[in-house]
Amino acid sequence: MTQETTASNSSSEPAIWELYPDATIDQDNRAQYEGMLRRELCLNRCSSCTAWHQPPRSICPRCWSVDVRPTAVSGKGVVMMAAVLRQGKAALGVEYPYHLVTVELDEQPALRYTSAIAEDCIDQVQIGTRVTLDWVERGGAPHPVFRPDADKAPGSASDVG
Amino acid sequence: MSADLTRDRVAIVGVGSTGYSRGDTGRSAPSYAYEAAVAAIRDADLTQIDIDGVVSSTGSGYPNLVPPASIEVVAALGLPTVTYYSEGNPVIGGAMIDAINALLTGRCRNVLVYHYNYRGPYMSRRAASDPFRRWIRGYADDPPESAKNAAAYSFWASNYFARYDARREHLGYLAINSRTNAASNPLAAIREPLTMEEYLEARMIRDPLCMFDMDLPVDGADAFVLTLTERAADRPHTPVLVHTANQGAVGPNDEDQLPSLERHGHDVVVEQLWRDSERTLADVDVAFIYDGFTFIAMSWLEKLGWCGPGEAGSFIEQHWVDDQQRLMIDGRIPVNPSGGMLSEGGTQGAGSVREAVHQLRGDAGSRQVEQAETALLAIGGFFYNAQSIMLTRGPA
Repeated sequence: MTQETTASNSSSEPAIWELYPDATIDQDNRAQYEGMLRRELCLNRCSSCTAWHQPPRSICPRCWSVDVRPTAVSGKGVVMMAAVLRQGKAALGVEYPYHLVTVELDEQPALRYTSAIAEDCIDQVQIGTRVTLDWVERGGAPHPVFRPDADKAPGSASDVG
Repeated sequence: MSADLTRDRVAIVGVGSTGYSRGDTGRSAPSYAYEAAVAAIRDADLTQIDIDGVVSSTGSGYPNLVPPASIEVVAALGLPTVTYYSEGNPVIGGAMIDAINALLTGRCRNVLVYHYNYRGPYMSRRAASDPFRRWIRGYADDPPESAKNAAAYSFWASNYFARYDARREHLGYLAINSRTNAASNPLAAIREPLTMEEYLEARMIRDPLCMFDMDLPVDGADAFVLTLTERAADRPHTPVLVHTANQGAVGPNDEDQLPSLERHGHDVVVEQLWRDSERTLADVDVAFIYDGFTFIAMSWLEKLGWCGPGEAGSFIEQHWVDDQQRLMIDGRIPVNPSGGMLSEGGTQGAGSVREAVHQLRGDAGSRQVEQAETALLAIGGFFYNAQSIMLTRGPA
């Protein structure tokens, strides 16, 4: 299930462990980090029942199929929670205050991904804002961030939750 | 769900505490656990040969909890023969349930349950300057783009504030309540009063929560001796019965994947509580509402049924006694009379169990609630560690 993601991990490039040194990477979530290197946000999707889940696990929590595949999401959704980190040991490339959001993705109700707001649009993103994915370099590796989505919202958009 | 078959069958017959400190203590984590354990065993008028079960609250691999594990305590206290030992699921209720199960399945006669806190180097500047804490692992190095661990309550509080008529002042009342109550508790780490002005101007840590919304990193330990109720009369103190105890969770429970505030661990706990007891909120004499984060206490007040969804803020305003600067539900039920996690220290509910035992024995000193017979303890957060314990005064 990871064969499509191993191409970017050739020996001439730094390993995901070096590029994402503060992440706990194991066999079940490596594809998510390998996807980030390609600037794709890959969440696990069940090949049997088509349900998505996050964080990546080796089994589908809905139908127990183990045929779960890292699959790129659109990165579009609605902000349902937000927090501002102001204290603690800062990770490489992070400056406080650091604005984070949890986004309910369009792919499935209650499927969420948490990451930072793009620095140039912190004032434009709040709970309820439709956002889309973008990528920034942090510590020499691509990281997903969210920014307001200029496109029209789909009819299925959920609210604050 | 089935019913709680352990109801009223196990009693707490001994308590011991080191008290809690944020200072330069110069002590090891195990030294606290041992001191509290010895105090609890002596309080029950028992000795080494009597303790044949030991349960810690270090389970689930919590990174902020450090040894000693139960087997080390067996060695350190020189317990000659132990027939049950385990690491219970934090917070304190998981360990209590483990002990209750061990007693009722006949695996042992007297169980020592202990809980300790010990600051890791990432928890405070003072702890970071202590080289003897360097080995303690923590979650300081996790990627910051995450709603995990302690950050989770800031995230979900933001969702709550967006949906309901709640304000930071409502959280502030809870922080002030704990400070006011801690003033009369010599075991508390902070005993100075807090004002609403100080709360509102406090340093934000993770918006929308500030430093006074989060429990205190402390060193210290509490310990308890549990035995079957039928044997509790042999012990010197009025036994305190574990009327009912439970824990609960839902899946998914990853912090940012929790389906909603409508149903999480608190709900699973409360469903069991009111199924297993004929007592109601009207019977509660003293309440321990987990304030590891102020926002957790807001949730408990709603889930327990004191008010409806989104109404915790106005409930707190209605039951606030301004001239006492504390919460008194219906004018008679104090909440966290020993100062809670916010002011006694982040005891993960252990301090609440100890205070509840003193209240029900009638030896809580200046904090004593007259004729206290029923203590309700709602402990833990939404994701991994929601628990409740109802304690009642047993026959003298």
